[in-house]
Amino acid sequence: MLDWLLDPFSGALMQRALAEVLIVAVACGPLGVWVLLYRQSYAAESISHAMLPGLVIAALAGAPLLLGAVGGVIAAAVAIALAGRDERLGGDVGVAVAITALFGLGAVLALSPDVPARLGELLFGDLLGVTGGDLVEAAVLAGGVAVALALAHRRLALSVFDRAAAPSLGARPARWELALLALLAVCTVAAVRGLGNLLVVALILAPGAAALNVAPRLPAALALSAALATLAGVLGLLASYHWEVAAGASVALAAVALFALSLFVPSRTAPFDTQA
Amino acid sequence: MSGSPVVVEGLAGGYAAGADVLRGVSFTLEAGTITAVLGPNGGGKTTLFRAMLAELPAQRGVVRLVGRPAYVPQTDRTRLDFPVNALDVVLMGAYSRTPSWRRLARADRDAARACLDRVGLADAARRRFGALSGGQRQRVLIARALLQDSPVVLLDEPLSGVDAVSAARIDAVFDELRAERRVLLVATHDVEQARRWDRVVCLNGEQVAFGAPAEVLTTAVLRSTYGAELVVLAGGERAVAVDHHSH
Amino acid sequence: MLPEAFDAPFMQRALLESLMLAGLAGVLGSWIVLRRLAFFTHGVGTAAFPGLVVAGPAGVAPQLTGLAAALLYAGGVEWLGRARRVAVDAATGLVLVGALALGVILASDVFESGAGVDRLLFGSLIGLSDRDLWLTGLALAAAVVLHIALRRSWLAQGFDPGTARALGIRAELADRLLLLAITSAAVVALDAVGALLVTAVLVIPAATVRLVAPSVATLQAGTAVLAAVEGVAGLWLAYELNIGPGPAIAVLGGALFALVAVVTAVARRWT
Repeated sequence: MLDWLLDPFSGALMQRALAEVLIVAVACGPLGVWVLLYRQSYAAESISHAMLPGLVIAALAGAPLLLGAVGGVIAAAVAIALAGRDERLGGDVGVAVAITALFGLGAVLALSPDVPARLGELLFGDLLGVTGGDLVEAAVLAGGVAVALALAHRRLALSVFDRAAAPSLGARPARWELALLALLAVCTVAAVRGLGNLLVVALILAPGAAALNVAPRLPAALALSAALATLAGVLGLLASYHWEVAAGASVALAAVALFALSLFVPSRTAPFDTQA
Repeated sequence: MSGSPVVVEGLAGGYAAGADVLRGVSFTLEAGTITAVLGPNGGGKTTLFRAMLAELPAQRGVVRLVGRPAYVPQTDRTRLDFPVNALDVVLMGAYSRTPSWRRLARADRDAARACLDRVGLADAARRRFGALSGGQRQRVLIARALLQDSPVVLLDEPLSGVDAVSAARIDAVFDELRAERRVLLVATHDVEQARRWDRVVCLNGEQVAFGAPAEVLTTAVLRSTYGAELVVLAGGERAVAVDHHSH
Repeated sequence: MLPEAFDAPFMQRALLESLMLAGLAGVLGSWIVLRRLAFFTHGVGTAAFPGLVVAGPAGVAPQLTGLAAALLYAGGVEWLGRARRVAVDAATGLVLVGALALGVILASDVFESGAGVDRLLFGSLIGLSDRDLWLTGLALAAAVVLHIALRRSWLAQGFDPGTARALGIRAELADRLLLLAITSAAVVALDAVGALLVTAVLVIPAATVRLVAPSVATLQAGTAVLAAVEGVAGLWLAYELNIGPGPAIAVLGGALFALVAVVTAVARRWT
């Protein structure tokens, strides 16, 4: 039994993959709790899907993926902000158009050259191809997100729990809503190497959703979310090794499975407030 | 009078430049007083508070306050699904005086429990905030304001739709705060309640009147303030305003 | 008349499919935009992905497994929303990413190379069978029939849900049929444009025309024409670049949308 758990991680390749998921989980878990509390799930999905052109351009140009990710996220955020502002269409239509167009652009750029970009890795991650340099990048970004969330904890809580009174209690809500979106962008950039831009949202939303189902108070929810994200990473890698299936997808599916399990925990908490 | 804790002069403004919601608001409040703000919905009560908190996008005029005011908004604006208990909410009152890297002080935690006790909710400390009744939640928000320990407290319809037990407790806390020489400014629909306090401001977009209840709360002034929302009781001397809120 | 790209038989099938999809875009795309169902449409397409992966090895029509997966998705989201353990947008996101991950895992067993997955995600010009064309035609016919029968209810529900019920229209049933029609349209569009880009044909042309067209009728006619033009141009572009049609149509549609949006916004500013 112990062999089954430890054998996969005897090689350097899997050790680096494990380090990557652990590093990224520490940021994605708590961030996801905040994303859900701020009701920004759609933003999380939109940004990750629409950043594809940036990733592809970096891959084709041989530039660092980090640069492509940052560029892609910025372009995505701008396009989504512009499209979402149009009142004539309303709702999610403008945003859906922007995401579809950008995603399609990424695919066109990736598939049309004579030597196509490795689109599968960009979409679904390259967890087993992580290098030492990638780990350093991820550690800096994810570590930054985790520290920022810890320092901003009270202001984030005030701004979303009681927007009207937040200024009198020491927080200006508009600023912190923006700060959360910025941290979401940074965390997406950190996690996209391992999970790919289509699956990264699983590690952001699923552990947080599971934690909020189970934990009655915010600090516990944040800690539990980090733990569940880490667990999803380990389980996913174990499954990937033993059953020879894609690593990033296994981690993503493990996270979603943990969320599904959390639905069976009896609810001591109030029903989720579904009003917008 | 200089030295008064709350001085407002010629306050006007709104949510966009050129679109005034408030006009010509001027009053001075002394320490140890409770002042009612009366007016119809949309008449500017909440806007006045935002202006006093310097939160109104376009405002002009003078607002001079001692210290940072504590603000108790209406409880139906808070998120009921948030994973916090009552004590957590009260502790938010200590956030602004705690640096972000430090844990909340022991003294603040003890003080928070004491504030919950003052509003009669000591045994609700560990209960989830969203699971409390409307009146209980309102009392928790007041306890949060108590923890802030501000000389000026602004309350937006704290007694609206609140059960009798909570209302009585809240009234008692108001009297304690007045005895502590603080300044309370309370938006309310309850004209009878306003008669028992020290001053009244009548607001309907612009300031209709300010002064002691006996002088201000005449039928004529109330009619200017409330217009069609006014209901005059038999005898013609007393009037009530219709309360549109429900919790 | 048409470029030589369209001489090949497979391109002519693709052309026919594209024109029928344009019809679907015209009939249903307008409703998707008017009733704010863009994200639902995207979700249905994406959720079908794992169904598509298993269709080949199981020897089953991909439309069938795709439809089953899409219905599971719709039911799952509704159940999660009703259980109120998580918000609807989070629930939708989680179900979709789970479906994608599941599809990728299944695919690593099913497909030797990544090219197979690309085809499912982005569509392909080749491989359209007679059965595919018939099913698309069937979906189009059904959509037209439902539109004629239910358009008043769909319109009333969009403006004012409460009143519609009071007027005695079977609003909830009509809405379910609308969602079913959209699901069917997405499912038959899958092999042409891929699971991830059904919105390129079903939503983008309608959104573009919506920027200028006031009434439902002109919206539908205009959308059908625009979708046809974008579909044919997209096919040609895909042929020239040797990629799936989905991304090509998405890029063309998106560029045109941006152009119309900017022009109308500027025109609005000056009048």
